[in-house]
Amino acid sequence: MSKVSDELKLLVLAGLILLSGLGTVCLAQEKLDIIALAIAAGLSIGWIVVHYVMLRLGRGGDHLLLPVAAALTAIGLVFVFRLKPELFLSQAIWATIGMIALLAASIAGRRIEAWADYKYIWGTVGIILLLATEIFGVDIGGNKNWLIIGPIHLQPSEFAKLFIVLFLAAYLSERRELLAYATKRLGPLVVPHQRVMAPLLAIWGLAMIILALERDFGAAILYFGTALLMTYLASGRYSYLIWGGGMFLAGSLMVYKFYPHVRVRIDIWLNPWSDPNGMAFQIVQSLFALGSGGVMGSGLAYGFPSLIPEVHTDFIFSAIGEELGLLGSGAVMLLYIILVYRAFRVAMVAKSAFDILLAGGLAILLALQVLVIVGGVTKFMPLTGIALPLISYGGSSMVATFILIGMLFAISEAGAGDA
Amino acid sequence: MQAMLDDLRVNARRTSFLLLGVLAILFVYISYIQLVESEFLSTNALNRRSIEAAAQIKRGSIVDRNGKVLAFSERGQDDRYERRYPYGPILANIIGYTDIKYGTTGIENSYNGELSGVINPLHFFGPIANLWTAKTGNNVIMTIDTNLEEVAYKALGNRRGAVVALDPKSGAVLAMVSKPGFDPKTLDRDWVTIATDKESRLMNRAVQGLYPPGSTLKVMIAEAALAEKITDTKKTFVCEGSLKIGSDYELTEAHHHAHGKVDLKEALAVSCNITFGTLALELGRDRMAETFTRYGFDRLSGVDLVEMPSRLPDFGHLGDGDLAQTGIGQGSLLVTPLKMAMLAAVFANKGVMMTPYLVGKITDTDGAIIQEVSSKEFLKPTSQELAQTVGKMMVAVVNDGTGSAAGLKGIQVAGKTGTAENPHGASHAWFIGFAPANDPKIAVAVIIENAGAGGEEAAPVAREIFARALR
Repeated sequence: MSKVSDELKLLVLAGLILLSGLGTVCLAQEKLDIIALAIAAGLSIGWIVVHYVMLRLGRGGDHLLLPVAAALTAIGLVFVFRLKPELFLSQAIWATIGMIALLAASIAGRRIEAWADYKYIWGTVGIILLLATEIFGVDIGGNKNWLIIGPIHLQPSEFAKLFIVLFLAAYLSERRELLAYATKRLGPLVVPHQRVMAPLLAIWGLAMIILALERDFGAAILYFGTALLMTYLASGRYSYLIWGGGMFLAGSLMVYKFYPHVRVRIDIWLNPWSDPNGMAFQIVQSLFALGSGGVMGSGLAYGFPSLIPEVHTDFIFSAIGEELGLLGSGAVMLLYIILVYRAFRVAMVAKSAFDILLAGGLAILLALQVLVIVGGVTKFMPLTGIALPLISYGGSSMVATFILIGMLFAISEAGAGDA
Repeated sequence: MQAMLDDLRVNARRTSFLLLGVLAILFVYISYIQLVESEFLSTNALNRRSIEAAAQIKRGSIVDRNGKVLAFSERGQDDRYERRYPYGPILANIIGYTDIKYGTTGIENSYNGELSGVINPLHFFGPIANLWTAKTGNNVIMTIDTNLEEVAYKALGNRRGAVVALDPKSGAVLAMVSKPGFDPKTLDRDWVTIATDKESRLMNRAVQGLYPPGSTLKVMIAEAALAEKITDTKKTFVCEGSLKIGSDYELTEAHHHAHGKVDLKEALAVSCNITFGTLALELGRDRMAETFTRYGFDRLSGVDLVEMPSRLPDFGHLGDGDLAQTGIGQGSLLVTPLKMAMLAAVFANKGVMMTPYLVGKITDTDGAIIQEVSSKEFLKPTSQELAQTVGKMMVAVVNDGTGSAAGLKGIQVAGKTGTAENPHGASHAWFIGFAPANDPKIAVAVIIENAGAGGEEAAPVAREIFARALR
């Protein structure tokens, strides 16, 4: 029972973050937005309702997943309200849809073992979603990964990631014996068997194409990193990591050498101060925001994050760092670390190979997304514009992340239920 | 089967260590950016935040004692606030400027916290403060009388110099002029010319200019000689136009003019160098040093501006010739015009030296007084009787002596002229004094660089200031 009441308390805390954040922005801008506050109150109550529904239907899943997700969503909503108030309503609608998606995924996920049987369907759907954006995609803000269906703008790649993890978990759990033992010795080196190498090479090729054509270093790391780490997870063999990492590095160097636009991106990363008002404008502005924030931050609504382009989507982390300081950016990082930790914990207590691989894969995907975007806007690694999970403005990423958390919750229920 | 699952769990644990480790490294890296790199990034010239912040705040106004607005902010292009200075160069050296590139000076600098609103205690509460207050700075009400300021500014003409006018009873600064000045409106455009000009336009000469005080210092020597009973008002001195001190130094009068038999009052009126050189020698090094300390020349006045300390001779190693020189305000002694105005004010205020101040009140946006400055005693260098005695001698300077050009019809003026020799060319013209002599309302110090005789050049400027202040 105590865990249940803990979850409730933490959800109330998330609701308070949302309400006090909106209230602060209203006070600072001297405009009282009753509607926004009412929506925030509604969302806070919604989270508590979801908590009770999952409690009634469920068998005791992980009690930290929902509160941490709610807290991150609350921070995201506060910053969308502060940076682009006109987008607050649609972000709130997406958060509501995400809430429902989480419930749906956690209920549908009860029969998650059965999902493994349809692995090729998931894999195909994943590839189609990726291809769909390639073929029908519309370029918005320099990223050609939008699909426009009527009034709704979708980023199918956000959902494609989930399908690909689902496929990999099923595929790898079936073949893990082969992966673990089918190796050849080449002198002192351990070389994976060609039958294992083939799919890895395919994903490596896909990642390199993304890198070369889309200049999307982050997406390449995301897909290839997820596949590689899931392969390690299934096999336990470091040689895959070494081979895969080596291949990725070699491929990246080739692309760097032959594709000038990729080189430009890398050069900007290595030395943004050589062109601070041109190519490196975004990253330099992002660093200025973080540096100006210091430890305490300028205070919510008292900074100048609008000097950064795309601040409400890709660069929202820098806005948090500016206005809430290291205290705020550190809190967000800790929330993600807790979420990733809980996701891995779900994997570690899961009761089947597929569940372990799926939960582990979802945890890897989440961690790599945070790494790519937070690392990107802080110059930790080359910048790639992807959503900061649950915080950036954007519906596809929000709904996809809530589905991811719903799936984790379902697996955690299965793990707890049989214990 | 179970063993296989355990293997997978071990792999999951290792993967989690790897990824959580990388996220932890990222966390440390972000801390580095926001802690260590913070200063470099926040102060970088390309970081527009300070410019944006300044342009968003409606800085408080600076107002004179009669309510005339001397500096204010108004919305210019793109809804950004810009600073305006209606009186341009007349007040530029006191009020200063606030500029993103060139910083903040003068009262704009001394009261930056108040004017920008950062000092507001409610500022600490951030957005909550908006429940009570508007997002604007406080207003600063100065003690300056702009009418008097304009008269002094005009009276100096195109000459380099400074004027300080004080209320001797409170220490309130009524006027402070430094010439040449600059126009804050064109500061950005003319920065290079203004900053590199040989005439030091950015220096507020009233508090930062260091000059030999010349004969104006004799009022202090007269007081010291009386206080130490080296002389009295009746004793006479014989001036033969020059005085040999030791074997290699000769103190002379201007044009070797012998004053003959004079008492202390007459000696001050004619500014007799021989008399005051002799008095300095009789006072000796220790008592001379002590006198300068008594009148506060060894410390800053505490006015709300960046001030230069006076430069005093090293009395312990002063030769007799240099000691005599110091007695007539020459030698290595250098003082600011503000210090000399404060010296004059002592004899106008019964021997009490008040702390000079430029800002009388601070009000909020609605005009409600937040802070009111009360006048403070700075030093009490002499007694009421001695102050009055010296004051009467200063009346004689104007009525019967070198300071006649400062005299006004119907108002008794007291003062002392000075013609300070210096290594930069012609003598600096000085006048210090106060009026009306029986109930002083204003004390002044006027210096005009390289202008010649104080009685001819500086005294008429003082006269105009007295006339405007007391009409």
